[in-house]
Amino acid sequence: MTGSRSLGFGIGLRSPHIGYVLRHTPPVEFFEAISENYLDSAGRRRRDLAEVAERYPIVLHGISLSIGSTDPLDFGYLARLRSLAGAVRAVLVSDHLCWTGVLGRNTHDLLPLPFTEEALAHVTARVRVVQEFLGRRLLLENPSTYAGFTASTMPEQEFLSRLAEDADCGLLLDVNNVYVSSVNNDSDPAEYLRALPFDRVGQIHLAGHTDYGSHLIDSHDAPVADPVWDLYRTAVQAAGDVPTLLEWDDRLPAFPVLEAELGKARRIAAAVPATHG
Amino acid sequence: MGELAGIQSWMHAAILDPDGPAGDAARVVTASARLTARERLAIYWRGYRLRLLESMRGLHPGLVRLLGRDVFDGFALDYLDAHPPRAYTLFRLDEGFAAHLAETRPDGAEHWPDMIIDLARFERAVTEATEAPGTEDGVPPGTGLRAVPCLRLLRLTWPAHEYLAAVREGADPPLPAPRPVHLAVSRRDYALVVRELGPRPFAALDTLARGGAAGPVPAGWLRKWTGLGFLTRAERLGAAHDPAGPVPAPMERNTAR
Repeated sequence: MTGSRSLGFGIGLRSPHIGYVLRHTPPVEFFEAISENYLDSAGRRRRDLAEVAERYPIVLHGISLSIGSTDPLDFGYLARLRSLAGAVRAVLVSDHLCWTGVLGRNTHDLLPLPFTEEALAHVTARVRVVQEFLGRRLLLENPSTYAGFTASTMPEQEFLSRLAEDADCGLLLDVNNVYVSSVNNDSDPAEYLRALPFDRVGQIHLAGHTDYGSHLIDSHDAPVADPVWDLYRTAVQAAGDVPTLLEWDDRLPAFPVLEAELGKARRIAAAVPATHG
Repeated sequence: MGELAGIQSWMHAAILDPDGPAGDAARVVTASARLTARERLAIYWRGYRLRLLESMRGLHPGLVRLLGRDVFDGFALDYLDAHPPRAYTLFRLDEGFAAHLAETRPDGAEHWPDMIIDLARFERAVTEATEAPGTEDGVPPGTGLRAVPCLRLLRLTWPAHEYLAAVREGADPPLPAPRPVHLAVSRRDYALVVRELGPRPFAALDTLARGGAAGPVPAGWLRKWTGLGFLTRAERLGAAHDPAGPVPAPMERNTAR
């Protein structure tokens, strides 16, 4: 769907690893930076990102766009995002299919949307505006969800598929989120993947989660779970040469541990016979 | 907007409600095979608080050590309940924390409330000096001496900076005795600079930083402040090693819950 399909395999850039990355220039094809960590920074953090961007392609991943909120879009935020994307020559810009707050407040959480015709029309219109403002196609990620709504009239995968088509946006497929949400919502992750328009998938995320018995939490603090690797295999087979990124945030191990985990993704992708068109 | 706005308004209020998630959750939220609608909503209610508390702890390591985590969390939650975050970045999460502590200060002449407030102010100043524009990418346009945008000036009732420096080194320091402290906090070459000033130099620097005329300021003060990165002019003086050194980055945001 974009010129980034051959970007390869990347890792989410976290501050404790930046020294290692700049010293060793590890064999990673790209890094993903959390946009909000850099939008307002003029200090060392921003300088470090610029140095990484001189050596690696950067993709920006946001968490405060709040594309599903009924609050007005924050054009100040979008202007800063556009500026940052230009400064680091971002290959991709993504955020989540969610809302973060209303009444001018930000919960700093990725809150779920009801999957209704009204919500679809609302998000579609806003994605178009955002893409026009940023001058680029936006990728939207399926978030992990812990609750659904009685008002929903379609499954998430149908909502995302129609959104991608109607708004002409891309999708960021987080296979860990697919699995977490499927367990939490008693749904079938394989059915979810079968319904997705893989020609719209511009990036795949991998991460670990935590099992609390009654539900899973998208904790990003552990290796990728076996059922998620199975979904990844399916996704790569359908999507083909789509960039894959490993996220790890809490209980962050040394960078080589992340490289080893990413190596599993490389091996799976290399072994999968592509069926995409 | 109709139903969507109503759902978001309801869920937002339920998450922010200090008393817990709404009792009428099943009207809006579906149950799962293992959790009721209210239990599922409670995941978001807890996640909101945990995420913000983690960020507040990351922004205030000195206060966490001074108060202990449970007491700090109590102060932080009281602040967050009164001032739910509005900014898109968590670096601004605590920008009203010290003012909230001052507004809710208990009556009395005891010094400890002021110590808490002052340490909150200093830790906020450290974050702002770390993130605000400095002079690393060149001197901003203009003429004459002026304060760098990342300069913060604080009057404190105790040496909170000495306490935080010891905490950052991993020590469990005794509390320094109260005394008036005039502090300049800034950044030079990406390293934090913290200096205690005398009352007169502090007043002069404060006036300059506000854009006023500080009267005759000794040239030696101006040279020193320029060298420390408090002031800037067309030709920067050379940077020297700062014993305060760099500080760890404040809490970053990630996508995990």
